[in-house]
Amino acid sequence: MSYFIDVAFDSVHKYGEELCGDKVEIIRNDDCTIIVMADGLGSGVKANILATLTSKIAATMLSEGISIEETVDTIINTLPVCQLRNLAYATFTMIRIQYDGNIYVAEYDNPPYIMIRENRCLEIEKREIVLCGRKIKESNFKLEAGDVLTIVSDGAIHAGVGGVLNLGWQWENVAQYLVRVSAKKKCAKGISKELIDACMSLYAERPGDDTTVVSVKIKKPEQIDLLTGPPKDKGDDGYIVKEWMNGKGRKVVCGGTAANIVARELDREIKVSMDLIDPEVPPIAKIEGIDLVTEGVLTLSKALKIIKAYVDDFDESNIVYDLNAKDGASRLAKMLIEDCTRLNLWIGRAINPAHQNKDFPIDISRKLKIIDELVFVMENLGKNVQKKYT
Amino acid sequence: MIDISVCVGSACHLKGAYGVIQKLQSIVKERQLNNDVTIKACFCLGKCTEFVAVKVNETNIFSIAEEHVENFFDEQIVGRLDN
Repeated sequence: MSYFIDVAFDSVHKYGEELCGDKVEIIRNDDCTIIVMADGLGSGVKANILATLTSKIAATMLSEGISIEETVDTIINTLPVCQLRNLAYATFTMIRIQYDGNIYVAEYDNPPYIMIRENRCLEIEKREIVLCGRKIKESNFKLEAGDVLTIVSDGAIHAGVGGVLNLGWQWENVAQYLVRVSAKKKCAKGISKELIDACMSLYAERPGDDTTVVSVKIKKPEQIDLLTGPPKDKGDDGYIVKEWMNGKGRKVVCGGTAANIVARELDREIKVSMDLIDPEVPPIAKIEGIDLVTEGVLTLSKALKIIKAYVDDFDESNIVYDLNAKDGASRLAKMLIEDCTRLNLWIGRAINPAHQNKDFPIDISRKLKIIDELVFVMENLGKNVQKKYT
Repeated sequence: MIDISVCVGSACHLKGAYGVIQKLQSIVKERQLNNDVTIKACFCLGKCTEFVAVKVNETNIFSIAEEHVENFFDEQIVGRLDN
């Protein structure tokens, strides 16, 4: 069984600072995913440099298969020494997850990670080793589908200190909160975002410390086969639809003409819904056996906007998108974010008659560009994307 | 029974397919033709370069702008109703 490692993180910086002193580095290799979160001493520029160096060195060395001893040694001898405090220091948590579920974690002075399985917080046995005079906690275990592992910087544990809460939030409370959140959120991004939002509220929107949440969710692979646009050569219609139907994933068609072709080739009825839920997004249609049928370029570009806003921690435009809305773009965005670890795209290159309308704002190159952007954000979410031009 | 299918593909959507649908629905309601005319939506009819594409009874495809819906209805639909 090869798992999909869904990783997401969110950070906020200390109120008044321009840079974050926490840094997360994620590297995806063929056999494992490396995740490092470092929290630099102090805040602002200094902390940012320490954390960036630590996370970058650690992730790069670990992903090249270098031992933890050597990695820690390199970090300690590389970090610039703070003149004020006369020490070089960044706390870190390093995680290495193999796709069979085996995980190795090394923690140095960060709050302990929170491991949730079946709505319970698991206690994992840890070994203590001393490297270069620093105590590092190591642990190894095996992950299962549905597991959620979260690491937080101390900013989350202290959320609310001096304001709403006398002692801050405390690790136990964060863990309890996470148990609740992970039960209702399907993807890592949902979890990290919810927790960081809670921290922001406790800090009354003015964080007293850099705060970072990294969430890892172990998923069974889920595929989506997305067909968009008719093939360049009409003669290929039958073959392409057949090949697309043979894919293992859930079936999505984005494009009116493509939907008509699918209905024709499968000899099934296509029924276009009359409900206009969002005036910006054309309605969806139904074809038996197909999971989602939408219009093409307008829906895709709106879905792209939604995914981007969802991924972006604090979107400047301040538009709140509801992933559970029923219009085609929201449905598509929700599927792509939550139910997809691998996206197979069939991209048709036929010139749509609509593209020749001088009043129509979107031509084929614009459409291909939107798809390229979609591929980019999906890959940023850690998903595998396969493209096939037809 | 007359079926009127209005294209809601990308191009027609932008050209105001919804206005056309609403207009048609209100005409049907006004003239109490609910049992004689069905308004449906459909995807691309291949007439993307003109106005909103509207198909009548699976055969004829017309291209109409929102402001001409009433005319279209009188000229193309009313005549068929009598048959």
